[in-house]
Amino acid sequence: MTSLQVFIQQLANGLTLGSIYALIALGYTMVYGVIQLINFAHGEVFMVGAYATLMLVLLISPLGLPWWVALVVCALGAALVCGALGGLAEQFAYRPIRSAPRLNALITAIGLSFFLQNALMLIFGATDRQFPSVIPFVRWNVGGITLTLMQVIVWASSAALMAGLQALVMRTKLGKAMRATAQDRTACALLGIPVDRVIRLTFVIGSMLAAVGGMLFGMNYGTINFHDGYLTGMKAFTAAVLGGIGNIPGAMVGGLVLGLLEGLGAGYLSSQWKNVFTFLILVALLLFKPTGLLGERVAERA
Amino acid sequence: MRLRAGLFLACLAALPLAAGCGGKSEPVIKIGFSGPLTGDQAPLGEDMMHGAQLAIDQANARGEVIPGFKLQLAAMDDQRSPTQAVTVAKKLVSDPDIVAVIGHLNSNCTMPASAVYHQARILNISPASSNPQISRQGFDTFYRTSATDDMQGLGAANFAYNDLGARRVFILDDMTTYGRGFSTEVEGHLKRMGAEVIGHEGINQGDKDFVPLLTKIKSQNPDLLFFAGMFPEGALLIKQRSDIGLPANFMGGDGLFDPALIELAGGAPAEGAHLTTITTDISQIPTAKAFLEAYEARYGPVGAYSAYAYEAANIVIWAIQQAAKKDRAAVLAAMKEFKDFPGIFGPANFDQKGDPIGREIGIFTVENGKFKFVKTAAAH
Repeated sequence: MTSLQVFIQQLANGLTLGSIYALIALGYTMVYGVIQLINFAHGEVFMVGAYATLMLVLLISPLGLPWWVALVVCALGAALVCGALGGLAEQFAYRPIRSAPRLNALITAIGLSFFLQNALMLIFGATDRQFPSVIPFVRWNVGGITLTLMQVIVWASSAALMAGLQALVMRTKLGKAMRATAQDRTACALLGIPVDRVIRLTFVIGSMLAAVGGMLFGMNYGTINFHDGYLTGMKAFTAAVLGGIGNIPGAMVGGLVLGLLEGLGAGYLSSQWKNVFTFLILVALLLFKPTGLLGERVAERA
Repeated sequence: MRLRAGLFLACLAALPLAAGCGGKSEPVIKIGFSGPLTGDQAPLGEDMMHGAQLAIDQANARGEVIPGFKLQLAAMDDQRSPTQAVTVAKKLVSDPDIVAVIGHLNSNCTMPASAVYHQARILNISPASSNPQISRQGFDTFYRTSATDDMQGLGAANFAYNDLGARRVFILDDMTTYGRGFSTEVEGHLKRMGAEVIGHEGINQGDKDFVPLLTKIKSQNPDLLFFAGMFPEGALLIKQRSDIGLPANFMGGDGLFDPALIELAGGAPAEGAHLTTITTDISQIPTAKAFLEAYEARYGPVGAYSAYAYEAANIVIWAIQQAAKKDRAAVLAAMKEFKDFPGIFGPANFDQKGDPIGREIGIFTVENGKFKFVKTAAAH
């Protein structure tokens, strides 16, 4: 391999990780945009998605479905479970304290995160679980660069979901309501926008994206553990901040940039220090551009 | 097993109540035990605990070790965390019924815990911790039944250089006391033999994505990738190495010696992976036959450290017998007379530091989804 080939390969690797970060980061940023809550339980919702997929894979594997049908079934099933979880969390954990100081909601989110993490441990055990992929193992060699079908599916599905989300937010009535709620909740309520429903749907959609992220994470890396959601969630949160929290394209860009930084850091500098480099760059960026790469509206609102 | 022990304790506690003031519970001598009993290493810790439990039950069945006393195992979970290990060690030494402690598994747990045992002047035998530094602390309370990483490192380097023909080696470790210690030994021996070590890097325990690192390694064309760490990360390295098509041989140490390695790696990618263990194929050892039969009848297949925990418990029982009283100092002093003990690996002896003499390093290869014993590697 020439050094250029290695570099392109590392970009491809970083893009895979970044796509997964981006899917999770969207949930953080959407919720923050609408109610200014950092939903720390989101990383666990992502893990619930991974475990829900694992159960589905084990359930449907005896049926012998074509792999792409199985993949769609898994994605829909996991999205359904996580969407319901996100909606319930909003209804029972966050809505009752929505008018309380913001710190209360933050602590509730941390509590919910602990609750979900321990629930996963009790249900599925503390040991790593092998995650069977429904996607067949196919590897191509394109000009010295190794690509797998798994990687291509990670890229394609996250790109499709992000495009879909962007269309939903910019083109539909619900999207318009979400953007309006983010700007001024009271004014929205006065104008007859069902603010509570919009907020709940924001949680549901964010959680569904995290569910697909969880599925791709499990299938790509091959093992899952109940505490994987913590670090991955933290990284995705970082990605949301990097891109400008509250800004949807920002979360996508932030996720991809973080994935690339981590991939290149591990590939060129040192794998043991890769998290340090990643967070150093975050600190540096926030020092010079506190609103993140694409964020601009956050400071004035806070 | 823990449940049953708990039930037994509860019954013991209830006994005086039921019998009124005149009731008397049976006096016990406890042998402490600690290893990871929850978390990803729980299978390894439980296998260890079973080995110790078997030895104690057999001793009790033979009759009273000291007249008037029954032996009992007091097992505690160190969660493979060094801080928790120290907490557990302090709890164990504060129980006056405990005269010796078997543990821990991870070297970075045994290291700080051994200082607590030394301070309390209580005999401590580790059945699994292989970092050489532990016995170099000069604690006369510390012994171990497992081989050390300088022995394992030499055995691994011998096999890699002579049998696999490794000349360009990339070494990874998990930055733990065990991983760093072991990988440093391997690196030193390989260099001395004349192989080129083209890289030596650390990874973080709990990381999932090793593809960028493996891509870098692939671009440097090593003929062997050596990993000193535990099986959860080992399995991911094996799987992702196969995903990206890194052709180099894969080899690791006893931290990978768990059937979960093959399962977590997804089966096929693990085929042909080699590992060293601080045991030989125990089924080949005539003196271990009785232990194997008794263990398998009760708990199923032996784990990586079951036999070492069994051996450690038997040595503790021997020391209690020699001391002939329930007294920590006497038990510890009895170890000074320890010589040619009829252990399951043959006559057991310790050197000045408390390390076992004459241990052999075994080489295993994954074949058809199972660990297959290949040979014994020279480690002297």
